[in-house]
Amino acid sequence: MDNENEFTGADILLKALKEQEVDTIFGYPGGAVLPIYDAIFGQNFLKHVLVRQEAGAVHAAEGYARSSGKVGVLLVTSGPGVTNVVTGLTDALMDSIPIVCISGQVPSHLIGTDAFQECDTTGITRPCTKHNYLVKDVSKLSETIHEAFKIASSGRPGPVLIDIPKDVQFAKSKYIPKKEINFREHRIKAGSKNVDKNFVQELVNHIKNSERPIFYVGGGCLNSGPQASQELIKLVNKTNIPITTTLHGLGCFPGEDKSSLGMLGMHGNYEANLAMNKCDLMINVGARFDDRVTGRLDAFSPDSIKFHIDIDQSSINKNVKVDFHTNTDITQTLKEINTFIESNKIELEKKDYSNWWGQINDWRKKECLHYEQGDEVIKPQHAISRLYELTNKIDTFITTEVGQHQMWAAQYYKFSKPNRWITSGGLGTMGFGMPAAVGAQMANPDSLVIDVAGEASFLMNIQEIATAVQYKLPIKIFILNNEYMGMVRQWQELLHGSRYSESYVDALPDFKKLAESFNAIGVRAKNVSELDDVINEMVSIDRPVIADIWVDKKENCFPMIPSGAAHHEMLLSKYDKENPENQEKGKVLV
Amino acid sequence: MSSSSVYPTPINAFKQSKRSVLSVIVDNEPGILARIVGLFSGRGYNIEALNVTVVDIKNNLSRITIETLGEEKVISQIIAQLEKLVPVHSATNLANLSESYEAEICLVKIEFKNEEQDQKILNFSDIYRSRTVQKRQNIVVYEISGTSERINKFLDDLNTIGGIKVELVRSGPIGLGI
Ligand SMILES: Cc1ncc(C[n+]2csc(CCOP(=O)(O)OP(=O)(O)O)c2C)c(N)n1
Ligand SMILES: [Mg+2]
Repeated sequence: MDNENEFTGADILLKALKEQEVDTIFGYPGGAVLPIYDAIFGQNFLKHVLVRQEAGAVHAAEGYARSSGKVGVLLVTSGPGVTNVVTGLTDALMDSIPIVCISGQVPSHLIGTDAFQECDTTGITRPCTKHNYLVKDVSKLSETIHEAFKIASSGRPGPVLIDIPKDVQFAKSKYIPKKEINFREHRIKAGSKNVDKNFVQELVNHIKNSERPIFYVGGGCLNSGPQASQELIKLVNKTNIPITTTLHGLGCFPGEDKSSLGMLGMHGNYEANLAMNKCDLMINVGARFDDRVTGRLDAFSPDSIKFHIDIDQSSINKNVKVDFHTNTDITQTLKEINTFIESNKIELEKKDYSNWWGQINDWRKKECLHYEQGDEVIKPQHAISRLYELTNKIDTFITTEVGQHQMWAAQYYKFSKPNRWITSGGLGTMGFGMPAAVGAQMANPDSLVIDVAGEASFLMNIQEIATAVQYKLPIKIFILNNEYMGMVRQWQELLHGSRYSESYVDALPDFKKLAESFNAIGVRAKNVSELDDVINEMVSIDRPVIADIWVDKKENCFPMIPSGAAHHEMLLSKYDKENPENQEKGKVLV
Repeated sequence: MSSSSVYPTPINAFKQSKRSVLSVIVDNEPGILARIVGLFSGRGYNIEALNVTVVDIKNNLSRITIETLGEEKVISQIIAQLEKLVPVHSATNLANLSESYEAEICLVKIEFKNEEQDQKILNFSDIYRSRTVQKRQNIVVYEISGTSERINKFLDDLNTIGGIKVELVRSGPIGLGI
């Protein structure tokens, strides 16, 4: 008997998505999700974006989430549909991006029989999701979806997958709205509720007594929300303490501000890495002491007292032992620190750390990002600098692929606001940037979205150009075309005697013609005199554009802390010689 | 060592070891064991022994006891990683509790050939107060419980008897904070 209070699993899914205020879903159909596609047909609150490969859907959802602060959602079919998203789920797990992936599964009674397009989805995705579910009973579906959104976005965010067998999509049950669901606290992992007063007090005392303090800020600050960035700016201004950010922290603090030392780490600024090495007080705000950041651990910031704010308990004391830590939300913690300083009239302003700044300014004189642009061949660094100069008046979102171009974008593009910089850090996924730009443009239809790409990476998810064209998303693919897997070539030059094994990208397509064949626009700059015009033209076109920027093929990305070396052993240019002992040890690292 | 046996031990020959026994309370739901085992294998931690059983039917909770090896820093990281798993309520290193008790159960089947062996076996069984589950002409099955160390010691002693055949099963340690 049909009951009017009962809905099919597919309808329940849509009702739950609506209640979660999801307006965009990236997906690709197949047999095991047809009932859901049927429900999507003939409704109008949810915009479905048809990608060209499921990898595109998951990276688009990541781009959507990163650029909007909301949960990104995708829908894929069973078997190959879901195995195609494994890379993206892992990427989102490493970079703490909240996404919910809905996958179809073969009907319950066929599970375990090696049915057509069956795979052990929860088994395959268990290690690459924050949590996953196989929903066997339609009456549990509403609750599962609402819990999935809660888990994806709470505490340290991450990807959550819900596998729904086809029969469950057809089966009927009541819909349970979010407010009627009793979320169980232990499952949500939202960190400690109250800010540790003792931590705040200790921190302020240490700030008062330190001579060489530094803020070391990571992606956690971004994930805590835009307010975190406001509180951080307030605190930095109040204390005059230098601040460096990780790759993912870029934008949490204005890159052009005088207190900013820029990015730290393997390709970070000289002054940022030296300051980390010599500081006496390190205040880590939502960063995880990643190996790209710390360099050789036994030489990492040997003389500092370390404070760590991180909502993820497992990030504390994992790689580096800290002296004080708190497992609370960053916005809340920074707010409490600011309030404490204000209400106790602690005048930190008087402490100007002038010796420390003097030292830092000496390091700055090295001009570690200096490059020489000649009259002909475009230096990749120059291409990014010009891109920045010509777009910084516009609200611009930059996504990237992975390689040298990514590092140059991080070094030469200055971000003044959070959520404008979308890159694959933890996993380093080539092919991320193009679909991520699709997602970012969906979330920010009126903004400029640019994928700073390498020609090799772009080829990995190039099919998504068609998605951009279909949905009239005017994204720009800004290719620093060096005809090499540049980052691989660089390591081969530095560590493997310039034996460029398989790093030349032969048989490249003509990117201009390629754009045209997709009904996008192609532009090209072959030398430096054409660069500004090409950038301006690219920005002015209200359609997807592929800009093929021919850059110096042999340029390397500096400064660089080679793997296995310490912060103060940074190489500034290829003329710097590396300690041969480090080189041998570094070779075995990644 | 803060954990002590629920049974008295004849020889206090406990060696100081870096083993830890973790007690984990989880929602009893599909895949939970796979999550935990996957976490250990994926991150390169050791599982020396593992035991899982539902302990609270009303609230659908299981208790998982894991014996692992590692230095203190690694154990803290394992606990933090376990507590990140959605169905995990808590993960506790029994050694960090002010008081806890630990026990393991072992069934041993011993085949012997002669009187002399039988006497020696009986003697050890007496010392360790193992319970006889079954005794036949030349087979005896014992049940022994206590700390894992105590069981190890018993088995070591049995092995000093030449020419017998031993087959056994162990539950792995379980433990409880008091
Ligand atoms: C999926 C994937 N495969 C391999 C790598 C290893 N890798 C890192 S950078 C790189 C080269 C990237 O080349 P390109 O996109 O042209 O960027 P460039 O370094 O030249 O700027 C490779 C192969 C990776 N990061 N991701
Ligand atoms: Mg390249």
